Amino acid sequence: MYVIRREWLVKRVLLVTAMVVVLGLALVVYFMVKESIPAFKQAGPANLFSSEWAPGEGRYGMLIFLVGTLATTAGGLILGTPLALGLALFLTQVAPRRSRALFSRGVETLAGIPSIVLGWLGFTILVPWIRELSGSSGSGILAASIVLAVMVIPTITAISRDALEAVPSTYAQASLAMGATRWQTIRRVQLPAAKHGILAAIILGMGRAIGETMAVAMVIGPASVFPTSLTSPTHTLTTKILMEMGESTGVQRSSLFAMGLVLLMLAMALIALMRRVSGGRSATPEVVE
Amino acid sequence: MERAAWTTAVKVGGMREVEPGATGAAGGGWLGPCGAQARVEKGVRRGSVKASAAHRRAALADRLATAGIWALSILALSTVALVIGAVLWKGLGTALSPAFVFGKPQAMREGGGVWPMVVSSFHLSLLTLALVVPLGVGAAVYMSEFAGVGRLARLVRFGADSLSAVPSVVFGIFGMVVFVVYLGLGYSLLAGALTLALLNLPTVMRSAEESIKAVPRSYLEAALATGCTKWEAVKRVVLPVAVPGIATGAILTAGRIVGESAAVIYTVGLFVRRVPWSPFRPAAPMAANIWHMYTEGALVPDWFRVASGEAALLLLIVLTLNLVARTTAKAVRKRMGYRD
Amino acid sequence: MSGKKAVFAALAVMVSLFLILAAGCGGNESAEGEEKQKLSGILNISGSTTVLPIAQEAAEMFMDENPGVTVNVQGGGSSVGISNVAEGVVDIGNSSRDLREEEKGLGLVGHRIALDVIVVVTHKEVPLEGLSAAQVRDIFTGRITNWKEVGGPDREIKVVIRDEASGTREMFDEKALEKEKPVAGAIECNSNGIVRQTVSSTPFSIGYISLGYLDNSVKALKYEGVEASKESAANKSYPLSRYLYMFTRGEPPGLAEAFIDFVLSDRFQEEVVAREYIPVTRI
Repeated sequence: MYVIRREWLVKRVLLVTAMVVVLGLALVVYFMVKESIPAFKQAGPANLFSSEWAPGEGRYGMLIFLVGTLATTAGGLILGTPLALGLALFLTQVAPRRSRALFSRGVETLAGIPSIVLGWLGFTILVPWIRELSGSSGSGILAASIVLAVMVIPTITAISRDALEAVPSTYAQASLAMGATRWQTIRRVQLPAAKHGILAAIILGMGRAIGETMAVAMVIGPASVFPTSLTSPTHTLTTKILMEMGESTGVQRSSLFAMGLVLLMLAMALIALMRRVSGGRSATPEVVE
Repeated sequence: MERAAWTTAVKVGGMREVEPGATGAAGGGWLGPCGAQARVEKGVRRGSVKASAAHRRAALADRLATAGIWALSILALSTVALVIGAVLWKGLGTALSPAFVFGKPQAMREGGGVWPMVVSSFHLSLLTLALVVPLGVGAAVYMSEFAGVGRLARLVRFGADSLSAVPSVVFGIFGMVVFVVYLGLGYSLLAGALTLALLNLPTVMRSAEESIKAVPRSYLEAALATGCTKWEAVKRVVLPVAVPGIATGAILTAGRIVGESAAVIYTVGLFVRRVPWSPFRPAAPMAANIWHMYTEGALVPDWFRVASGEAALLLLIVLTLNLVARTTAKAVRKRMGYRD
Repeated sequence: MSGKKAVFAALAVMVSLFLILAAGCGGNESAEGEEKQKLSGILNISGSTTVLPIAQEAAEMFMDENPGVTVNVQGGGSSVGISNVAEGVVDIGNSSRDLREEEKGLGLVGHRIALDVIVVVTHKEVPLEGLSAAQVRDIFTGRITNWKEVGGPDREIKVVIRDEASGTREMFDEKALEKEKPVAGAIECNSNGIVRQTVSSTPFSIGYISLGYLDNSVKALKYEGVEASKESAANKSYPLSRYLYMFTRGEPPGLAEAFIDFVLSDRFQEEVVAREYIPVTRI
């Protein structure tokens, strides 16, 4: 009797711990919505999604920052995805055993580097370097994209690598047996077979790039204007929240929470997309390799 | 390079006992034994042993692609080397001087150290781990042993996946509203630890789940066969075997906590001068303090030295934590391998 | 065996948690019931990151003088400090600006603790000594875009300003730009240090920083023919300045009052505040 009751109790306690993630998510969504209500009520959605940010004049448009987020994310993915895919193919198909350990170790190390350290490096080395080359202030979409590319490489590499490794080796055997070269096998057999996994990897990388704050904050400019070139200063949603939360009140503060809500929605939409693409596999990244 | 390519082709083909020389003689060693054979056959059928233009093109494409993949990978790896090298080059000298690591921070004068920041970082990660590991392991046990595949399990999975995608700056302003203001904790290590526990819960849960899954099912079945209840079996047999894996995950999480700044700036603080011993006190983890140095540090004449040194120190700590985690994982795998 | 261990571990965790909680609560209670003569308790301060270094320095000296007192100082920003003190999360809120309209009904009392002087700076190679108020306004609002229009070389002017949220920007927009908007596309930096860094490394750029941050990496311009200095600001011949504040809810209760008195004391003002700002005792 005692044993049965304890068993029941333990199961309940474990259930409660499991429900903490659900509760946590619900709380985050609830407070983001609650804090952004004043902005939606007093400024209105049309104002919030306009392209003018001038809190002094009651203009709280977040379009500039949304564009900044999308542009830096796209830039980061364009620069980072080929490297990450190359690395994943290298690790699964091409690498001799000894270099495989080295490269694999290297990319795992990159995943551990704190974003503030990458930002500091961007600020002290990358931005002055772009400034020299372009004659502009050096900060902006280009610098942010480069930093983000470095940040998405480990994520995309790890998950595409898993996807490529999950392709049954008989596929490749069959292809090679028919006389296809290795590249033909990769391009026609393995990449298509791992397509969903690779897509999921890119989506997860995109999520990481959209949410990245510190590394971008140190190289983005910042300026609350649309970028006119790859090296002109602008802002992203995350950097705007980071830099203005402390100094804003009232509707302006609330509109920063509305930006947080937009980020949250973007992130959750990406996760939903990813779950769909990867066929219901868990989308939580692993920390243990 | 050709030899490497050939080895992989053989490995993928699952054939171990082929003499490299034989295929090399057939021409185009990197096509692999089967490829070469097929080519010869095709050539024979067409009445010519000479490789066709299409084959030459394919061979060229293969060689180019291999070179491209090597180039991309080397570029990626050299980026890693460049990043680590540059950070250490700029700050290692400062980061290794005891006067800097154990020194008192300065608000308006030069020559400051970062000891309270180092303590803040460690204090924050210990406090967060104390909150997140029990929760994460509990949730993982539930998900892997008790949940089954029902609606509840799907809900928890959805919650974990979504929470893992939330940007850390959103966690930061959430923590500011809920823990700092609403619960009245103020800027404190505890408010930050609660925020970071929520941020890290999905990954801790996932890695604990993986560790539990790696325990052979026969262990649990054997325990159940001796008359243990499910929980007893999990507690006495499954969890002890999974502990090293869970510990590895916890160490890696500590690395993530130490490196986190966006979620910490509005919950824990940016700058302190005395070592924060109580969880109810504001603190200044190194990562957040680098941001402070970047924004307001210029009042200190040597802010650049302090920030560079702190960045290098932070990198060293995180790399060490990762190394420890990986070494543990490796040692454990080896031991488990012998035991099985 | 392992069951006993687990129970013991759980007990240990609970006991330590209890101790921690007890320590925390005890501290708070003594903060409320403290006496005037022998100061003890905990004082929490948050707010402007501009005021943070001064407040940290003051906290350190204050704690040395009163060993029973713990002063916690954190940043967050002026608005965070003001809303925190209004909500009772902290005892003192630091701010680099005065209260805004919507903050005036909160029952906060402001204490001016220093005068901050803003100086217009350019890249070192800009061959100008000073600008008139109208020229500064026209440059920062985008009506003048080339240095030759103010007697310099034929090069485009690169404008560097502070971020929207900064108290320095608020003051500069109000006093130097007469509430006009700065030119779109100006580089926004979120600290004095970054403005200095950006101006010193961008040829033909112009910006503004606090006097305390001025060093020889950039060139300070005269404003209306007056050089920015502690003296010229104190005698009001140099107009670009703003006060730094500490806010309390109502008249400050014991410990907060003692702390603010300390900050306003001649000794602290001359020893610390004077290093970067103008002591309020001199005005």
